[in-house]
Amino acid sequence: MMEAGSGEALTPHRLEYQGEIARLERDTLEGIELVVGALDRALEALAHQDIELAELVVADDDRIDGRYLQIHQGVLSLFARQAPVAGDLRLLAALLHVIRNMERMGDQCVNISKLIPVSGTAPPTDPQILSMMEEMGLAVREIVRQAMKAFQSRDADMAVDLAERDQKVNDLNKAIFRRALEVGNDLELREWAMTMTLAARCLERVGDNAVDIGEQIAFVVTGVFREFADASQAGDSRDR
Amino acid sequence: MGSRSFSATVTNRGGELSSLDESLPEPTGAEVLPGESVRTSEVMSSLDHHEKGIPTSDAGLGMTIFDCQDVEVFYGSHQAIRDVSLSFGLREVTALIGPSGCGKSTFLRCLNRMNDLIPGAKVGGHVIYHGQDLYAPEIDPVQVRKRIGMVFQKPNPFPKSIYDNVAFGPRVVGMEGDMDEIVERALVRGALWEEVKDRLDENAFGMSGGQQQRLCIARALATDPDVLLMDEPCSALDPISTGRIEDLMSELKERISIVIVTHNMQQAARVSDKTAFFNVELAADEKSRTGVVVEYDATETIFTNPSDKRTEDYVTGKFG
Repeated sequence: MMEAGSGEALTPHRLEYQGEIARLERDTLEGIELVVGALDRALEALAHQDIELAELVVADDDRIDGRYLQIHQGVLSLFARQAPVAGDLRLLAALLHVIRNMERMGDQCVNISKLIPVSGTAPPTDPQILSMMEEMGLAVREIVRQAMKAFQSRDADMAVDLAERDQKVNDLNKAIFRRALEVGNDLELREWAMTMTLAARCLERVGDNAVDIGEQIAFVVTGVFREFADASQAGDSRDR
Repeated sequence: MGSRSFSATVTNRGGELSSLDESLPEPTGAEVLPGESVRTSEVMSSLDHHEKGIPTSDAGLGMTIFDCQDVEVFYGSHQAIRDVSLSFGLREVTALIGPSGCGKSTFLRCLNRMNDLIPGAKVGGHVIYHGQDLYAPEIDPVQVRKRIGMVFQKPNPFPKSIYDNVAFGPRVVGMEGDMDEIVERALVRGALWEEVKDRLDENAFGMSGGQQQRLCIARALATDPDVLLMDEPCSALDPISTGRIEDLMSELKERISIVIVTHNMQQAARVSDKTAFFNVELAADEKSRTGVVVEYDATETIFTNPSDKRTEDYVTGKFG
Protein backbone atom coordinates (compact mmCIF):
# COMPACT_ATOMS: atom_id res chain seq x y z
CA MET A 1 0.00 0.00 0.00
CA MET A 2 1.31 3.39 -0.92
CA GLU A 3 1.25 6.13 1.60
CA ALA A 4 0.90 9.75 0.79
CA GLY A 5 4.50 10.83 1.15
CA SER A 6 5.48 11.65 4.66
CA GLY A 7 1.81 11.51 5.55
CA GLU A 8 1.51 15.22 6.06
CA ALA A 9 -1.84 16.77 5.38
CA LEU A 10 -2.20 19.81 3.17
CA THR A 11 -0.61 22.88 4.65
CA PRO A 12 -2.91 25.88 5.13
CA HIS A 13 -1.05 27.49 2.28
CA ARG A 14 -1.75 24.67 -0.13
CA LEU A 15 -5.33 24.39 1.10
CA GLU A 16 -5.85 28.02 0.24
CA TYR A 17 -4.31 27.43 -3.18
CA GLN A 18 -6.61 24.49 -3.87
CA GLY A 19 -9.51 26.63 -2.66
CA GLU A 20 -8.58 29.39 -5.09
CA ILE A 21 -8.46 26.97 -8.02
CA ALA A 22 -11.86 25.56 -7.07
CA ARG A 23 -13.29 29.06 -6.74
CA LEU A 24 -12.02 30.09 -10.18
CA GLU A 25 -13.64 27.02 -11.73
CA ARG A 26 -16.90 27.74 -9.89
CA ASP A 27 -16.82 31.36 -11.05
CA THR A 28 -16.30 30.20 -14.63
CA LEU A 29 -19.23 27.81 -14.49
CA GLU A 30 -21.38 30.56 -12.99
CA GLY A 31 -20.25 32.81 -15.84
CA ILE A 32 -21.50 30.24 -18.34
CA GLU A 33 -24.74 30.11 -16.37
CA LEU A 34 -25.00 33.88 -16.95
CA VAL A 35 -24.56 33.18 -20.66
CA VAL A 36 -27.43 30.68 -20.58
CA GLY A 37 -29.58 33.37 -18.97
CA ALA A 38 -28.59 35.90 -21.62
CA LEU A 39 -29.32 33.36 -24.34
CA ASP A 40 -32.80 32.67 -22.94
CA ARG A 41 -33.59 36.38 -22.87
CA ALA A 42 -32.17 37.04 -26.31
CA LEU A 43 -34.23 34.21 -27.81
CA GLU A 44 -37.36 35.40 -26.08
CA ALA A 45 -36.75 38.98 -27.14
CA LEU A 46 -36.26 37.79 -30.70
CA ALA A 47 -39.43 35.69 -30.71
CA HIS A 48 -41.57 38.50 -29.29
CA GLN A 49 -39.81 41.54 -30.73
CA ASP A 50 -39.25 42.60 -27.11
CA ILE A 51 -36.94 45.60 -27.34
CA GLU A 52 -36.79 46.23 -23.60
CA LEU A 53 -35.71 42.67 -22.89
CA ALA A 54 -33.15 42.94 -25.69
CA GLU A 55 -31.72 46.09 -24.12
CA LEU A 56 -31.42 44.26 -20.83
CA VAL A 57 -29.32 41.55 -22.50
CA VAL A 58 -27.02 44.22 -23.95
CA ALA A 59 -26.64 46.00 -20.62
CA ASP A 60 -26.19 42.80 -18.67
CA ASP A 61 -23.29 41.67 -20.83
CA ASP A 62 -21.06 43.83 -18.63
CA ARG A 63 -21.48 41.23 -15.91
CA ILE A 64 -20.13 38.51 -18.20
CA ASP A 65 -17.26 40.73 -19.32
CA GLY A 66 -16.51 41.56 -15.68
CA ARG A 67 -16.49 37.87 -14.87
CA TYR A 68 -14.00 37.32 -17.67
CA LEU A 69 -11.62 39.95 -16.29
CA GLN A 70 -11.95 38.71 -12.74
CA ILE A 71 -11.17 35.07 -13.59
CA HIS A 72 -8.41 36.07 -15.98
CA GLN A 73 -6.72 38.06 -13.23
CA GLY A 74 -7.24 35.23 -10.75
CA VAL A 75 -5.59 32.68 -13.03
CA LEU A 76 -2.63 34.97 -13.74
CA SER A 77 -2.25 35.56 -10.03
CA LEU A 78 -2.04 31.82 -9.36
CA PHE A 79 0.48 31.41 -12.19
CA ALA A 80 2.61 34.11 -10.62
CA ARG A 81 2.33 33.03 -7.02
CA GLN A 82 1.87 29.26 -7.04
CA ALA A 83 3.52 27.95 -10.21
CA PRO A 84 0.76 25.40 -10.82
CA VAL A 85 1.72 22.10 -12.47
CA ALA A 86 0.14 18.90 -13.77
CA GLY A 87 -3.66 18.73 -13.37
CA ASP A 88 -3.80 22.16 -11.74
CA LEU A 89 -1.86 23.64 -14.64
CA ARG A 90 -4.09 22.02 -17.24
CA LEU A 91 -7.23 23.19 -15.48
CA LEU A 92 -6.04 26.78 -15.16
CA ALA A 93 -4.81 26.87 -18.76
CA ALA A 94 -8.19 25.50 -19.84
CA LEU A 95 -10.02 28.13 -17.79
CA LEU A 96 -8.22 30.87 -19.71
CA HIS A 97 -9.69 29.43 -22.91
CA VAL A 98 -13.10 28.71 -21.48
CA ILE A 99 -13.62 32.26 -20.16
CA ARG A 100 -12.81 33.52 -23.63
CA ASN A 101 -15.50 31.22 -25.05
CA MET A 102 -17.85 32.39 -22.31
CA GLU A 103 -17.22 36.03 -23.17
CA ARG A 104 -17.70 35.37 -26.89
CA MET A 105 -20.99 33.55 -26.28
CA GLY A 106 -22.18 36.54 -24.25
CA ASP A 107 -21.27 38.81 -27.15
CA GLN A 108 -23.27 36.65 -29.55
CA CYS A 109 -26.31 37.04 -27.30
CA VAL A 110 -25.78 40.80 -27.51
CA ASN A 111 -25.52 40.56 -31.29
CA ILE A 112 -28.81 38.67 -31.44
CA SER A 113 -30.45 41.28 -29.22
CA LYS A 114 -29.21 44.12 -31.40
CA LEU A 115 -30.82 42.52 -34.46
CA ILE A 116 -34.29 43.12 -33.10
CA PRO A 117 -35.68 45.99 -35.20
CA VAL A 118 -36.48 49.18 -33.38
CA SER A 119 -39.24 50.12 -35.85
CA GLY A 120 -41.82 49.52 -33.18
CA THR A 121 -44.17 47.75 -35.53
CA ALA A 122 -44.18 43.97 -35.73
CA PRO A 123 -42.89 42.79 -39.12
CA PRO A 124 -44.47 39.92 -40.98
CA THR A 125 -42.90 36.58 -40.03
CA ASP A 126 -42.55 33.13 -41.48
CA PRO A 127 -43.78 30.30 -39.26
CA GLN A 128 -41.27 27.82 -40.71
CA ILE A 129 -38.30 30.03 -39.88
CA LEU A 130 -39.74 30.86 -36.46
CA SER A 131 -40.10 27.18 -35.67
CA MET A 132 -36.56 26.40 -36.82
CA MET A 133 -35.20 29.34 -34.84
CA GLU A 134 -36.93 28.05 -31.72
CA GLU A 135 -35.59 24.55 -32.27
CA MET A 136 -32.12 25.92 -32.86
CA GLY A 137 -32.24 28.11 -29.76
CA LEU A 138 -33.23 25.16 -27.59
CA ALA A 139 -30.53 22.95 -29.10
CA VAL A 140 -27.84 25.58 -28.51
CA ARG A 141 -29.04 26.12 -24.96
CA GLU A 142 -28.76 22.37 -24.31
CA ILE A 143 -25.26 22.24 -25.77
CA VAL A 144 -24.08 25.06 -23.53
CA ARG A 145 -25.60 23.39 -20.48
CA GLN A 146 -24.06 20.05 -21.44
CA ALA A 147 -20.66 21.75 -21.71
CA MET A 148 -21.10 23.00 -18.14
CA LYS A 149 -22.12 19.58 -16.93
CA ALA A 150 -19.23 17.87 -18.71
CA PHE A 151 -16.84 20.37 -17.14
CA GLN A 152 -18.22 19.84 -13.66
CA SER A 153 -18.03 16.06 -13.94
CA ARG A 154 -14.78 16.00 -15.97
CA ASP A 155 -16.61 13.81 -18.47
CA ALA A 156 -14.56 13.60 -21.67
CA ASP A 157 -17.17 11.45 -23.44
CA MET A 158 -19.88 13.98 -22.73
CA ALA A 159 -17.52 16.66 -24.02
CA VAL A 160 -16.92 14.79 -27.28
CA ASP A 161 -20.68 14.34 -27.67
CA LEU A 162 -21.01 18.15 -27.84
CA ALA A 163 -19.61 18.07 -31.37
CA GLU A 164 -22.25 15.53 -32.39
CA ARG A 165 -25.03 17.68 -31.02
CA ASP A 166 -23.59 20.78 -32.64
CA GLN A 167 -24.08 19.10 -35.99
CA LYS A 168 -27.84 19.55 -35.61
CA VAL A 169 -27.34 23.26 -34.91
CA ASN A 170 -25.22 23.62 -38.01
CA ASP A 171 -27.85 21.85 -40.10
CA LEU A 172 -30.59 24.15 -38.80
CA ASN A 173 -28.43 27.16 -39.59
CA LYS A 174 -28.20 26.04 -43.21
CA ALA A 175 -31.89 25.18 -43.37
CA ILE A 176 -32.85 28.64 -42.12
CA PHE A 177 -30.60 30.21 -44.73
CA ARG A 178 -32.20 28.16 -47.51
CA ARG A 179 -35.71 28.96 -46.30
CA ALA A 180 -34.86 32.67 -46.19
CA LEU A 181 -33.94 32.50 -49.88
CA GLU A 182 -37.37 31.15 -50.73
CA VAL A 183 -39.46 33.20 -48.34
CA GLY A 184 -41.24 35.17 -51.06
CA ASN A 185 -41.35 38.62 -52.60
CA ASP A 186 -42.64 40.69 -49.69
CA LEU A 187 -39.81 43.14 -49.00
CA GLU A 188 -40.53 43.41 -45.29
CA LEU A 189 -40.75 39.66 -44.89
CA ARG A 190 -37.48 39.21 -46.76
CA GLU A 191 -35.79 41.76 -44.55
CA TRP A 192 -37.04 39.93 -41.48
CA ALA A 193 -35.86 36.59 -42.88
CA MET A 194 -32.42 38.09 -43.55
CA THR A 195 -32.27 39.24 -39.94
CA MET A 196 -33.14 35.71 -38.86
CA THR A 197 -30.25 34.26 -40.86
CA LEU A 198 -27.95 36.66 -39.03
CA ALA A 199 -29.41 35.61 -35.67
CA ALA A 200 -29.09 31.95 -36.65
CA ARG A 201 -25.47 32.58 -37.48
CA CYS A 202 -24.99 34.02 -33.97
CA LEU A 203 -26.56 30.92 -32.44
CA GLU A 204 -24.37 28.70 -34.56
CA ARG A 205 -21.31 30.54 -33.19
CA VAL A 206 -22.53 29.99 -29.63
CA GLY A 207 -22.67 26.27 -30.38
CA ASP A 208 -19.13 26.33 -31.74
CA ASN A 209 -17.88 28.05 -28.60
CA ALA A 210 -19.54 25.37 -26.48
CA VAL A 211 -17.77 22.69 -28.54
CA ASP A 212 -14.49 24.54 -27.97
CA ILE A 213 -15.17 24.34 -24.25
CA GLY A 214 -15.63 20.61 -24.73
CA GLU A 215 -12.16 20.41 -26.30
CA GLN A 216 -10.73 22.09 -23.22
CA ILE A 217 -12.54 19.63 -20.97
CA ALA A 218 -11.03 16.74 -22.89
CA PHE A 219 -7.62 18.41 -22.49
CA VAL A 220 -8.06 18.75 -18.74
CA VAL A 221 -9.05 15.10 -18.45
CA THR A 222 -6.62 13.47 -20.88
CA GLY A 223 -3.75 15.95 -21.03
CA VAL A 224 -3.94 15.86 -24.82
CA PHE A 225 -5.47 18.66 -26.86
CA ARG A 226 -7.25 17.78 -30.05
CA GLU A 227 -9.90 19.52 -32.09
CA PHE A 228 -13.18 17.73 -32.16
CA ALA A 229 -13.93 19.19 -35.57
CA ASP A 230 -11.62 16.74 -37.31
CA ALA A 231 -13.23 13.76 -35.67
CA SER A 232 -16.82 14.82 -36.13
CA GLN A 233 -16.46 16.49 -39.46
CA ALA A 234 -18.38 14.82 -42.22
CA GLY A 235 -18.19 17.47 -44.85
CA ASP A 236 -18.11 20.97 -43.38
CA SER A 237 -20.07 20.39 -40.24
CA ARG A 238 -18.65 23.31 -38.34
CA ASP A 239 -19.44 26.26 -40.54
CA ARG A 240 -16.51 28.41 -39.58
CA MET B 1 16.34 -8.59 -7.13
CA GLY B 2 19.96 -8.38 -8.11
CA SER B 3 21.87 -11.58 -8.15
CA ARG B 4 24.60 -10.16 -5.97
CA SER B 5 24.25 -8.55 -2.61
CA PHE B 6 27.21 -7.68 -0.55
CA SER B 7 28.18 -5.89 2.57
CA ALA B 8 29.90 -2.61 2.05
CA THR B 9 31.14 -1.68 5.45
CA VAL B 10 33.80 0.92 5.93
CA THR B 11 37.23 -0.51 5.52
CA ASN B 12 40.56 0.99 6.35
CA ARG B 13 40.50 2.66 2.99
CA GLY B 14 38.37 5.30 4.60
CA GLY B 15 36.74 8.08 2.66
CA GLU B 16 38.08 10.42 0.14
CA LEU B 17 39.62 12.74 2.69
CA SER B 18 41.29 10.16 4.89
CA SER B 19 42.78 8.44 1.89
CA LEU B 20 44.50 11.66 0.95
CA ASP B 21 47.99 10.56 1.81
CA GLU B 22 47.59 6.86 1.28
CA SER B 23 48.78 5.31 -1.86
CA LEU B 24 45.77 4.06 -3.71
CA PRO B 25 45.09 0.38 -3.25
CA GLU B 26 45.81 -1.67 -6.28
CA PRO B 27 42.97 -3.60 -7.82
CA THR B 28 42.84 -7.16 -6.64
CA GLY B 29 43.21 -8.82 -9.96
CA ALA B 30 41.66 -9.95 -13.17
CA GLU B 31 40.55 -13.39 -12.07
CA VAL B 32 37.63 -12.37 -9.87
CA LEU B 33 34.63 -13.27 -11.93
CA PRO B 34 34.41 -15.13 -15.19
CA GLY B 35 33.40 -12.78 -17.92
CA GLU B 36 34.27 -9.77 -15.83
CA SER B 37 37.99 -10.08 -15.98
CA VAL B 38 38.72 -6.41 -16.31
CA ARG B 39 41.06 -4.89 -13.81
CA THR B 40 39.83 -1.86 -11.93
CA SER B 41 42.56 0.32 -13.30
CA GLU B 42 41.65 -0.68 -16.81
CA VAL B 43 37.96 -0.23 -16.18
CA MET B 44 38.36 3.11 -14.59
CA SER B 45 40.90 4.39 -17.04
CA SER B 46 38.49 3.49 -19.78
CA LEU B 47 36.19 5.97 -18.06
CA ASP B 48 38.81 8.69 -18.14
CA HIS B 49 37.43 10.98 -20.73
CA HIS B 50 40.02 13.68 -20.50
CA GLU B 51 42.27 11.59 -22.68
CA LYS B 52 39.94 10.63 -25.44
CA GLY B 53 37.58 13.54 -24.98
CA ILE B 54 33.86 13.44 -24.46
CA PRO B 55 31.84 13.42 -27.65
CA THR B 56 30.19 16.77 -28.09
CA SER B 57 28.25 16.11 -31.26
CA ASP B 58 24.73 14.84 -31.11
CA ALA B 59 26.00 11.42 -32.05
CA GLY B 60 26.20 10.16 -28.49
CA LEU B 61 22.90 11.65 -27.43
CA GLY B 62 20.58 9.04 -26.04
CA MET B 63 23.52 6.86 -25.10
CA THR B 64 23.14 5.37 -21.65
CA ILE B 65 25.72 6.28 -19.03
CA PHE B 66 24.13 4.71 -16.00
CA ASP B 67 21.90 1.69 -16.10
CA CYS B 68 20.57 0.81 -12.66
CA GLN B 69 18.68 -2.43 -12.20
CA ASP B 70 16.70 -3.38 -9.12
CA VAL B 71 18.86 -1.34 -6.82
CA GLU B 72 18.10 -1.78 -3.14
CA VAL B 73 19.78 -0.42 -0.05
CA PHE B 74 19.59 -1.71 3.49
CA TYR B 75 20.76 0.19 6.51
CA GLY B 76 21.10 -2.68 8.93
CA SER B 77 17.75 -4.44 8.78
CA HIS B 78 15.91 -1.40 7.43
CA GLN B 79 15.32 -1.39 3.72
CA ALA B 80 15.75 2.21 2.59
CA ILE B 81 14.98 1.73 -1.12
CA ARG B 82 13.98 -1.18 -3.30
CA ASP B 83 13.44 -2.09 -6.95
CA VAL B 84 14.97 1.11 -8.26
CA SER B 85 15.58 0.65 -11.97
CA LEU B 86 16.55 3.85 -13.74
CA SER B 87 18.90 4.67 -16.55
CA PHE B 88 20.51 8.00 -17.28
CA GLY B 89 21.58 9.16 -20.70
CA LEU B 90 24.51 11.10 -22.01
CA ARG B 91 24.20 14.87 -21.66
CA GLU B 92 20.93 14.61 -19.83
CA VAL B 93 19.94 16.28 -16.59
CA THR B 94 17.86 13.97 -14.46
CA ALA B 95 16.06 15.25 -11.38
CA LEU B 96 15.17 12.97 -8.49
CA ILE B 97 12.22 14.37 -6.59
CA GLY B 98 10.03 13.13 -3.75
CA PRO B 99 9.13 13.75 -0.14
CA SER B 100 11.67 13.61 2.67
CA GLY B 101 12.83 10.12 3.50
CA CYS B 102 11.86 8.60 0.18
CA GLY B 103 15.40 7.50 -0.61
CA LYS B 104 16.42 9.91 -3.35
CA SER B 105 19.74 10.78 -1.71
CA THR B 106 20.28 7.17 -0.74
CA PHE B 107 19.90 6.19 -4.37
CA LEU B 108 22.13 9.03 -5.57
CA ARG B 109 24.85 7.83 -3.22
CA CYS B 110 24.67 4.39 -4.85
CA LEU B 111 25.86 5.94 -8.10
CA ASN B 112 29.34 6.63 -6.79
CA ARG B 113 29.48 4.11 -3.95
CA MET B 114 29.07 6.76 -1.32
CA ASN B 115 26.86 4.41 0.71
CA ASP B 116 29.92 2.27 1.31
CA LEU B 117 30.99 4.89 3.82
CA ILE B 118 27.94 4.30 5.99
CA PRO B 119 28.46 1.49 8.49
CA GLY B 120 25.96 -1.31 8.02
CA ALA B 121 24.86 -0.15 4.60
CA LYS B 122 24.23 -2.92 2.07
CA VAL B 123 23.60 -2.31 -1.59
CA GLY B 124 21.96 -4.85 -3.87
CA GLY B 125 21.11 -4.94 -7.53
CA HIS B 126 23.24 -3.54 -10.29
CA VAL B 127 24.62 -0.11 -10.96
CA ILE B 128 26.06 -0.37 -14.44
CA TYR B 129 28.26 2.54 -15.47
CA HIS B 130 29.40 2.39 -19.10
CA GLY B 131 28.74 -1.32 -19.12
CA GLN B 132 30.66 -2.00 -15.91
CA ASP B 133 28.95 -2.96 -12.66
CA LEU B 134 30.31 -0.48 -10.14
CA TYR B 135 29.65 -2.98 -7.37
CA ALA B 136 31.62 -5.79 -8.96
CA PRO B 137 34.18 -7.14 -6.50
CA GLU B 138 37.16 -5.99 -8.51
CA ILE B 139 36.02 -2.37 -8.49
CA ASP B 140 37.65 -0.07 -5.97
CA PRO B 141 35.06 2.27 -4.47
CA VAL B 142 37.64 4.95 -3.76
CA GLN B 143 38.46 5.09 -7.46
CA VAL B 144 34.76 5.30 -8.25
CA ARG B 145 34.29 8.29 -5.97
CA LYS B 146 37.30 9.96 -7.48
CA ARG B 147 35.88 9.62 -10.98
CA ILE B 148 32.24 10.35 -10.22
CA GLY B 149 32.04 13.52 -8.21
CA MET B 150 29.24 14.63 -5.97
CA VAL B 151 28.19 18.11 -4.92
CA PHE B 152 26.40 18.37 -1.61
CA GLN B 153 23.75 20.56 -0.07
CA LYS B 154 26.29 22.46 1.98
CA PRO B 155 29.41 23.58 0.17
CA ASN B 156 32.31 21.55 1.58
CA PRO B 157 35.57 22.95 0.29
CA PHE B 158 38.76 21.61 1.81
CA PRO B 159 40.56 24.00 4.21
CA LYS B 160 43.06 24.73 1.50
CA SER B 161 43.66 27.32 -1.16
CA ILE B 162 41.25 27.67 -4.05
CA TYR B 163 43.91 26.25 -6.34
CA ASP B 164 44.61 23.23 -4.18
CA ASN B 165 40.92 22.47 -3.82
CA VAL B 166 40.62 22.12 -7.58
CA ALA B 167 44.00 20.45 -8.07
CA PHE B 168 43.27 17.84 -5.42
CA GLY B 169 41.37 15.38 -7.60
CA PRO B 170 43.62 15.60 -10.66
CA ARG B 171 46.69 15.07 -8.47
CA VAL B 172 45.23 12.04 -6.75
CA VAL B 173 44.19 10.34 -9.97
CA GLY B 174 47.50 11.31 -11.54
CA MET B 175 46.09 13.35 -14.39
CA GLU B 176 48.69 14.27 -16.94
CA GLY B 177 49.24 17.75 -18.28
CA ASP B 178 49.90 21.18 -16.91
CA MET B 179 48.19 21.48 -13.52
CA ASP B 180 47.68 25.24 -13.89
CA GLU B 181 45.77 24.61 -17.08
CA ILE B 182 43.74 21.83 -15.54
CA VAL B 183 42.79 24.10 -12.61
CA GLU B 184 41.93 27.00 -14.88
CA ARG B 185 39.82 24.81 -17.15
CA ALA B 186 37.87 23.43 -14.19
CA LEU B 187 37.31 26.89 -12.72
CA VAL B 188 36.17 28.21 -16.08
CA ARG B 189 33.72 25.34 -16.40
CA GLY B 190 32.60 26.00 -12.84
CA ALA B 191 31.85 29.62 -13.85
CA LEU B 192 34.24 30.85 -11.16
CA TRP B 193 37.46 31.66 -12.99
CA GLU B 194 36.82 35.37 -13.55
CA GLU B 195 35.99 35.86 -9.90
CA VAL B 196 38.97 34.05 -8.43
CA LYS B 197 41.79 34.10 -10.99
CA ASP B 198 43.68 36.75 -9.03
CA ARG B 199 43.41 35.04 -5.68
CA LEU B 200 43.93 31.37 -6.37
CA ASP B 201 46.16 30.98 -3.33
CA GLU B 202 43.59 32.36 -0.92
CA ASN B 203 41.77 30.01 1.41
CA ALA B 204 38.54 28.67 -0.03
CA PHE B 205 36.75 29.43 3.22
CA GLY B 206 36.98 33.13 2.42
CA MET B 207 34.56 32.77 -0.46
CA SER B 208 30.81 33.35 -0.37
CA GLY B 209 28.49 30.36 -0.09
CA GLY B 210 27.56 30.48 -3.75
CA GLN B 211 31.22 30.74 -4.76
CA GLN B 212 32.13 27.85 -2.47
CA GLN B 213 29.45 25.73 -4.11
CA ARG B 214 30.75 26.56 -7.58
CA LEU B 215 34.23 25.72 -6.31
CA CYS B 216 32.93 22.32 -5.24
CA ILE B 217 31.45 21.88 -8.70
CA ALA B 218 34.75 22.92 -10.29
CA ARG B 219 36.55 20.49 -8.00
CA ALA B 220 34.23 17.68 -9.09
CA LEU B 221 34.78 18.64 -12.75
CA ALA B 222 38.55 18.81 -12.50
CA THR B 223 39.03 15.11 -13.19
CA ASP B 224 36.87 15.48 -16.30
CA PRO B 225 34.07 13.12 -15.36
CA ASP B 226 31.17 12.55 -17.74
CA VAL B 227 28.62 12.68 -14.95
CA LEU B 228 28.08 14.91 -11.96
CA LEU B 229 25.93 13.98 -8.99
CA MET B 230 24.28 16.81 -7.08
CA ASP B 231 22.46 16.42 -3.79
CA GLU B 232 20.30 19.51 -3.24
CA PRO B 233 23.13 21.74 -4.41
CA CYS B 234 21.18 24.99 -4.08
CA SER B 235 19.17 24.51 -0.93
CA ALA B 236 21.65 26.57 1.12
CA LEU B 237 22.00 29.29 -1.51
CA ASP B 238 20.21 32.56 -2.20
CA PRO B 239 18.19 32.94 -5.44
CA ILE B 240 21.01 34.73 -7.30
CA SER B 241 23.55 32.02 -6.50
CA THR B 242 20.92 29.40 -7.27
CA GLY B 243 20.35 30.99 -10.67
CA ARG B 244 24.10 30.89 -11.34
CA ILE B 245 24.31 27.22 -10.48
CA GLU B 246 21.30 26.45 -12.65
CA ASP B 247 22.86 28.37 -15.56
CA LEU B 248 26.04 26.47 -14.95
CA MET B 249 24.15 23.19 -15.08
CA SER B 250 22.75 24.00 -18.52
CA GLU B 251 26.26 24.82 -19.72
CA LEU B 252 27.71 21.64 -18.25
CA LYS B 253 24.94 19.64 -19.88
CA GLU B 254 26.55 20.36 -23.23
CA ARG B 255 29.23 17.87 -22.24
CA ILE B 256 28.23 15.82 -19.25
CA SER B 257 25.26 14.22 -17.56
CA ILE B 258 23.90 15.46 -14.26
CA VAL B 259 21.79 13.65 -11.72
CA ILE B 260 20.34 16.07 -9.20
CA VAL B 261 18.32 15.52 -6.05
CA THR B 262 16.17 18.55 -5.35
CA HIS B 263 13.31 19.48 -3.09
CA ASN B 264 12.60 22.52 -5.18
CA MET B 265 10.14 21.34 -7.76
CA GLN B 266 10.38 24.44 -9.85
CA GLN B 267 14.11 23.87 -9.99
CA ALA B 268 13.53 20.31 -11.16
CA ALA B 269 11.12 21.62 -13.79
CA ARG B 270 13.59 24.31 -14.89
CA VAL B 271 16.82 22.38 -15.14
CA SER B 272 16.07 18.75 -15.89
CA ASP B 273 15.25 16.77 -19.01
CA LYS B 274 13.90 13.79 -17.13
CA THR B 275 12.41 13.47 -13.69
CA ALA B 276 12.07 10.47 -11.41
CA PHE B 277 9.50 10.70 -8.65
CA PHE B 278 10.35 8.69 -5.53
CA ASN B 279 7.86 7.95 -2.80
CA VAL B 280 7.78 5.96 0.40
CA GLU B 281 5.84 2.76 0.65
CA LEU B 282 5.05 0.80 3.76
CA ALA B 283 7.19 -2.32 3.87
CA ALA B 284 5.66 -5.77 4.11
CA ASP B 285 5.82 -5.66 7.92
CA GLU B 286 3.76 -2.44 7.71
CA LYS B 287 6.10 -0.78 10.15
CA SER B 288 9.08 0.48 8.22
CA ARG B 289 9.04 2.61 5.11
CA THR B 290 10.89 1.95 1.91
CA GLY B 291 11.55 4.27 -0.99
CA VAL B 292 10.46 3.28 -4.50
CA VAL B 293 10.32 4.97 -7.88
CA VAL B 294 6.71 5.79 -8.73
CA GLU B 295 7.19 7.40 -12.11
CA TYR B 296 10.11 8.23 -14.39
CA ASP B 297 9.46 10.28 -17.50
CA ALA B 298 10.32 13.41 -19.43
CA THR B 299 10.23 16.38 -17.06
CA GLU B 300 7.60 18.11 -19.16
CA THR B 301 5.34 15.10 -18.87
CA ILE B 302 5.84 14.83 -15.11
CA PHE B 303 4.88 18.47 -14.67
CA THR B 304 2.04 18.73 -17.18
CA ASN B 305 0.51 15.29 -17.45
CA PRO B 306 1.90 12.73 -15.02
CA SER B 307 0.41 9.28 -15.41
CA ASP B 308 0.40 8.28 -11.75
CA LYS B 309 -2.03 9.86 -9.30
CA ARG B 310 0.65 9.90 -6.58
CA THR B 311 2.97 11.91 -8.82
CA GLU B 312 0.15 14.32 -9.59
CA ASP B 313 -0.63 14.75 -5.90
CA TYR B 314 3.00 15.34 -5.05
CA VAL B 315 3.91 17.84 -7.77
CA THR B 316 0.71 19.81 -7.24
CA GLY B 317 1.45 20.01 -3.54
CA LYS B 318 -1.44 17.87 -2.36
CA PHE B 319 0.92 16.04 -0.03
CA GLY B 320 4.52 16.06 1.03
